[in-house]
Amino acid sequence: MNTKKLALLLLSITFVFTSCSTDDDVNSSPLPLGDYEDGILISHEGNFGQGNASVSFVSFDLQTVENNIYSTVNSNPLGDTAQSIGFTGDLAYIVLNVSNSIEVVDRYTFESVATINTGLNNPRFIAFANGKGYVTNWGDGSVATDDYLAVIDLSSNTLTAQTISVEEGPEEIVASNNTLYVAHQGGFGQNNLISVVDATLDMVSSTITVGDVPNSMQLDNSGNLWVLAGGKPAWTGDETGGKLSKINTSDNSITSIDFGATEHPNHLAFDGGSLYYYASGSVFKMASSATTLPATAEITGLSFYGMTVNNSVLYGVDAGDFTSNGALSSYNLSSNTLEETTTVNIIPGGIYFN
Amino acid sequence: MAWSQTTLDSIQKLDAIVLSDVKLKRYAKGYKLTVLSDSLLRKNKTSLTDVLRFNSNIYFKENGYGMVSSASFRGTNASQTAVIWNGININSQLNGQVDFNTISSANYDNISIRSGGGSVQYGSGAIGGTIHLANDFDFKKHFDNRVQLGFGSFDTKNANYNGSFGNEKWSANLGVAYVNSDNDYRFLGTDRKNENGAFSNLDLNFNLGYVLSKKDVLKLYHQNFRSDREFSATLLAPSNSKYETQDYRSMLDWTHIGNSYTSTFKAVHLQEQFKYFENKDLDNFSEGIVNTFLVKHHYKRDFSKRLMVSVITDFSHIKAKGNSFDNPNRNAFSVTAILNHKPTEKLQYNLNIRQDVISDFESPIVFSGDASYQFFKWYAIKFNASKNFRVPTFNDLYWNPGGNLDLKPEESYQIDLGHEFAYKTATLKLNTYYIETSDLIQWRPNNFSGYWNPVNIANAKHYGIEAEIGIKKTFNSHTLNLVSGYSYTETEDVEKNQRLFYVPLHKANVSLAYNYKAFTAFYQHVYNGEVEIIGNTLDGFDVGNFGLAYSFNTTGELLYEANFRINNIYNTYYENVALRPMPNRNFTINLTLKF
Repeated sequence: MNTKKLALLLLSITFVFTSCSTDDDVNSSPLPLGDYEDGILISHEGNFGQGNASVSFVSFDLQTVENNIYSTVNSNPLGDTAQSIGFTGDLAYIVLNVSNSIEVVDRYTFESVATINTGLNNPRFIAFANGKGYVTNWGDGSVATDDYLAVIDLSSNTLTAQTISVEEGPEEIVASNNTLYVAHQGGFGQNNLISVVDATLDMVSSTITVGDVPNSMQLDNSGNLWVLAGGKPAWTGDETGGKLSKINTSDNSITSIDFGATEHPNHLAFDGGSLYYYASGSVFKMASSATTLPATAEITGLSFYGMTVNNSVLYGVDAGDFTSNGALSSYNLSSNTLEETTTVNIIPGGIYFN
Repeated sequence: MAWSQTTLDSIQKLDAIVLSDVKLKRYAKGYKLTVLSDSLLRKNKTSLTDVLRFNSNIYFKENGYGMVSSASFRGTNASQTAVIWNGININSQLNGQVDFNTISSANYDNISIRSGGGSVQYGSGAIGGTIHLANDFDFKKHFDNRVQLGFGSFDTKNANYNGSFGNEKWSANLGVAYVNSDNDYRFLGTDRKNENGAFSNLDLNFNLGYVLSKKDVLKLYHQNFRSDREFSATLLAPSNSKYETQDYRSMLDWTHIGNSYTSTFKAVHLQEQFKYFENKDLDNFSEGIVNTFLVKHHYKRDFSKRLMVSVITDFSHIKAKGNSFDNPNRNAFSVTAILNHKPTEKLQYNLNIRQDVISDFESPIVFSGDASYQFFKWYAIKFNASKNFRVPTFNDLYWNPGGNLDLKPEESYQIDLGHEFAYKTATLKLNTYYIETSDLIQWRPNNFSGYWNPVNIANAKHYGIEAEIGIKKTFNSHTLNLVSGYSYTETEDVEKNQRLFYVPLHKANVSLAYNYKAFTAFYQHVYNGEVEIIGNTLDGFDVGNFGLAYSFNTTGELLYEANFRINNIYNTYYENVALRPMPNRNFTINLTLKF
């Protein structure tokens, strides 16, 4: 009963706030929030150790590209190996894996707001819950027992003293209200766990076993967490196929579909009630209600280092040979045809909508 | 035919006894050969990287001062320059390279730079050129000792001992070189220091020669180099990792000198090992170790004073062990034939051919020809053309994941034309060359497997001009010695139609020494033009060093020398590799004692 009440309360609050903001939007003239509003942000890892990480801003139609927006605005280099970007409010948190730092910028102007460069060790991804940022850290790649979540106080953009110790190789992290889900890809090795973290207590409340090497996660609109595991690669000598799992977040119950023993899917995306993933140069589409994997690919002959789907448009980045400029391409998913391709910077990895 | 003891014969015989690598002197007439003498090496008692950077056309890419350093010879890459230790190729079996900061220049009698392809005589990787480290034997009666102690900025300490003994029958020398540095120099224009850059190196060298009979001499060479280095941070990436390496090199050489032939048998053991600590505070590391067992026979037959034929055969067994591969091994056999002919006093040429048979892939036949013609006493023309190769390394073949057993050796063709002018004590060497390399091995991401694979993918072209000038002027007791070099290097990655990364278009070096009795002053300067890096260019730089030396008591038994040196005298900020600032102005004091 209490839960029901709480849920209702939350719902009404959400409604009130939503209405408020809607009213605001209607009443105020739409002032631009910055040069980098209304477009795509591409994070580039750059080369390991070479300090050439960057972020590009690309118009939705891919007609204009502005590279190196962080260094242009702030007159200093971004850092080494931009692994991912997380967003909350007007801020973007750029996770710099090899620099062991997070650059906090205004997501629309890209002006630097803060730099967090202590307490991180091999940071990977960030998610936000309960007024805090949670950063997955490998610790030393060769040590299996020093992996943790660093916790950022968002009011001051500083690390809190507390860290949350987790299993080996935490990678992607997503938040659903005050619960965080951490995929343990396994760092330099291979793991098969999802950690469930309570953001009110800052503790791991449970772990869920999924397929080997969970590489991407999506939350749908019905309270399900979808986890795509790539399986162990052949070179380990213990190859396993991929696995797609659906976790009901209300009770952590899990159902899974197996891929073939040598299939290693990646880059799970969710758009308009459908799931999309990438495997062996092809993109596949599957209704979230389906119980079997799709037999045929939507688009083939691709070379994606990262991809996502937004409003029935597929965006993919190709890192090429990793020493030349990469490319961003968009595909119309109703006709499955290429719309545009444009050149971006060295080793593009993340695609975000601003 | 008369086998009388002519002067030429005895010189050749002496060479066979004294030198570790007769081929270098004998069969390289059509190549540019630059010899750095022991006095020069001693004056530059620093890393081999620094010695060569300031005294040759070779460009170095140093990952922060004292850290991993690789050579680019005529624009070729790190694994296309072979380093030859007393006649034996010592490039790593793991990555094909030599880290020039793990070679101590202090313990060699001379270092020679042979420009141009040399795979026929020196094997895999001798594409841009070869660098020869030599320990020579002195059988004249003597017993010399030299002790050197030095102290410098950034808490740098070095200590060296060299002892040399000879008595007609025996010859022995012992060398110990130790250097230790905190290497925590301040980055100019910032309040930051070079973090995690400390290093400590120890080189032990022992060589023994024994004259067995009038016709036989036995030589034993042994070297052990130990290095413990942190991996320095960059401007944008902190580091707390370190790297420990250890190399053992031992060789037994039996040379038999017959009336019309010389036979040299060598048995060699090489061991390279590394331990990489991601976190230097933990006892957690990955490692690799390679043992190479090699036997080599060189038979040289003199058909006349002007015509010689050599046949070299070698067999090696190489075994590796490490975290990133199982226990791969390789057997390699090669046979080389060399024809050395001097039809006239002015003309000399060599023809070489070599075939390797290697257990894990097919190796091409390689060949070379070189000629030198002395037009005038003051002018000679030199020409060489060769086909060279570089074999895939153990990392390329067996690294898990990615190792590719379908790789074939890289191949290279090149021609080189040189002019050498000599007038009194002045020399000028001018060289132009063209190199084409194909099937270059590069690690590329594999879209299907999801990890990286080495593939024979790239092709490159290199061409350029090199100039070297040497002038020595003596008047009364004053001596002025100028050595200078310039290189213009054009490279092209054929696939991408762009210049190769980290190859300067222009590089120049000048070294000027002035001596008056016991006093010596020197200045050296290097200009390194800008280089292409991934997605950007890195600015060029000028760096100069200045030094003074004074010898006390130049007549007595005991001889002292004090040496003071200022490195980077103009306090220039420069990066040799992007984001890795090099040391600001710094000082070294050395005291040498000879007895």
